[in-house]
Amino acid sequence: MNTDHIDNILVVDDDRDIRMGVVDYLRKNGLRASAAVDGRDMFAQLETSAFDLVVLDIMMPGDDGLVLCRTLRAGKHHALPILLLTARDDETDRIIGLEMGADDYVVKPFSPRELLARIKAVIRRTRMLPPNLRITETIDTVSFGRWRLDTTARHLLDESGTIVPLSGAEFRLLRVFLDHPQRVLSRDQLLNLTQGRDAELFDRSIDLLVSRLRTRLEDNAKDQSYIKTVRSEGYVFSMPISVHGDAA
Amino acid sequence: MSRSAFLTPERWLPRSMASRVYLIILVGLMLAQGLSFALMFYERYDSATTTMLNTVEHEVGTSVAVLDRLPAAERADWLGRLQRDNYRFLLGQGQPGTPLATERSREVARRIEAEVGPDYHVQAETISMAPERYQVHFTLHDGSSLTLEVAPRGVPPVAQWLPIVLALQLVLLLACTWLAVRLVVRPLAQLARASEAMTPTADGPRMSEAGPVEVAQAAVAFNLMRERIARHLKERLHILASISHDLQTPITRMRLRAESLDEGEEREKILRDLHEMEHLVREGVAYARSAHGGAETPVRMDVKAFLESLVFDYQDVGKAVTLAESVGGATLVRAQALRRVLGNLIDNAVKYGGSAEVSSRRSEEGALCIAVCDRGPGIPEDQLDQVLQPFYRVEGSRNRDTGGAGLGLAIATQLTRAIGGSLQLSNRQGGGLAAIVTLP
Repeated sequence: MNTDHIDNILVVDDDRDIRMGVVDYLRKNGLRASAAVDGRDMFAQLETSAFDLVVLDIMMPGDDGLVLCRTLRAGKHHALPILLLTARDDETDRIIGLEMGADDYVVKPFSPRELLARIKAVIRRTRMLPPNLRITETIDTVSFGRWRLDTTARHLLDESGTIVPLSGAEFRLLRVFLDHPQRVLSRDQLLNLTQGRDAELFDRSIDLLVSRLRTRLEDNAKDQSYIKTVRSEGYVFSMPISVHGDAA
Repeated sequence: MSRSAFLTPERWLPRSMASRVYLIILVGLMLAQGLSFALMFYERYDSATTTMLNTVEHEVGTSVAVLDRLPAAERADWLGRLQRDNYRFLLGQGQPGTPLATERSREVARRIEAEVGPDYHVQAETISMAPERYQVHFTLHDGSSLTLEVAPRGVPPVAQWLPIVLALQLVLLLACTWLAVRLVVRPLAQLARASEAMTPTADGPRMSEAGPVEVAQAAVAFNLMRERIARHLKERLHILASISHDLQTPITRMRLRAESLDEGEEREKILRDLHEMEHLVREGVAYARSAHGGAETPVRMDVKAFLESLVFDYQDVGKAVTLAESVGGATLVRAQALRRVLGNLIDNAVKYGGSAEVSSRRSEEGALCIAVCDRGPGIPEDQLDQVLQPFYRVEGSRNRDTGGAGLGLAIATQLTRAIGGSLQLSNRQGGGLAAIVTLP
């Protein structure tokens, strides 16, 4: 990665004040940013300059954010990270947004600081994972051992179809493991990749989180058939995985 | 207990409407049946008496005249032929007795005397009372005595089948009554059930509008009322949701502007106010939505894993939330709604009590009970119900300082109700509040 690179963000919102406010804030915080008033404007700008992430408002006249999100994912900009601005704190909007291929979402009214943190987190996550390994972001259901992970609803299903919920951190950790099967991941790497939207995890908490996840998977600490501890190196997800559902 | 209280039907009538109506009709029927039986009996008695009296006076008159004409030696042979079921003739003076005791015997004696005429010196005396027997003495024209002994029969007994028929009739009537009462009372029970099942969103089944005209009318009226209430509520919630929703954009704008201001006390104050407004807006939308929580599809979920995931999410952001004990196993729940309810309760506990303890158990009826407990100041007993109302704040609470909109518990209550459960608050022994969500 080029260290001189400054991330370039495209902000798409029909509300002038919000659009410009966000652009100003991002610029003030050392990023490059441009504004687009609607979908057509967005596609025009994507043609002329390279962007690292698009901030997309869902509630827009004409083509709304969800439609634009799907169009982006279907076209040549399919790898471009997308962050949605939703007007409601609603589970359905979140799930639909993620199903449409968005990488994350922020609920209005948001604080610009929160938005900046999310933008950075999404960019970091995308950079760290080669696109072909991001199984959990493109696949609905991932199977391993006796479990299935629903990546949009963010919970496990056992053989009988009973839902076994995961905490936010557990889900993020499992996702990291499933994205890197059979690869030893250091605590630092895990910590970095598992970093949540709300919480800053502490170093020691990775061990705790792994142990919780093992309990959740009913993975015996002795057998370690799902997650193996690699002494002084970290952890490896050793259970073979298979995927179902459409690659977006 | 005052006298009027004793007179109210509630004191002695059975509790259910069906039993009451049934009892009234039963008593009425029995009285009516008894009365007609008595009337019939009286009529029989009366006609039997009249018939007997007429027979006696004519026949006795004729018999006395015949015996008077016969030569004294032949009279004894004729006695057998002149005798009837209830009287016989004896030659001689008969037995001594007391003056006639019953009205009927006097009537009989009077009639006989009138029939035979004064020539026979009619005299009558009662011989015994039980069974009644009386004698009428005549003096024939040849000077010899003749005695008529009357042993009046009672009223002829009623036919044996009569009581059976009466009983059958009673049973038939009672069966019809039972059917009729059921027919009348059943719609009432249906109405009660429908009212109970009524939700603010009117997503339950409509009441059936079939049946007799009155019942159908009541059902139609009930369904209309239900829809009016639902429309009214929907309108109110819609207004709340719209206002809250439309505030989101201006608040976001203001935030962005405030962030671009120079750092300082003024900016912090504006940001704090905005934060409070933001909270209110989010809760407003959530409250407006919470009435529709029942629309979520229930899923089979591991309760223990669910509660653990909830608690861990809090622990991961440094909140003192713990899970004490939990039932295991899969249960059918509306997960999103339940997550929101418990989230609100835990937020509340952490806000006022500093920490929260979550636990779950099965009630004796098999219902899932999830408790969120804290060791905070609790809520005064007389305000336990009121705090579940939207925008209610416990007096003297620090609610405003902590930025609450006063909707957290209202959302939890409404949402719990929408998913068919109930929410109960109580103060704990040793201080603190316990909020218990019960799901059937």
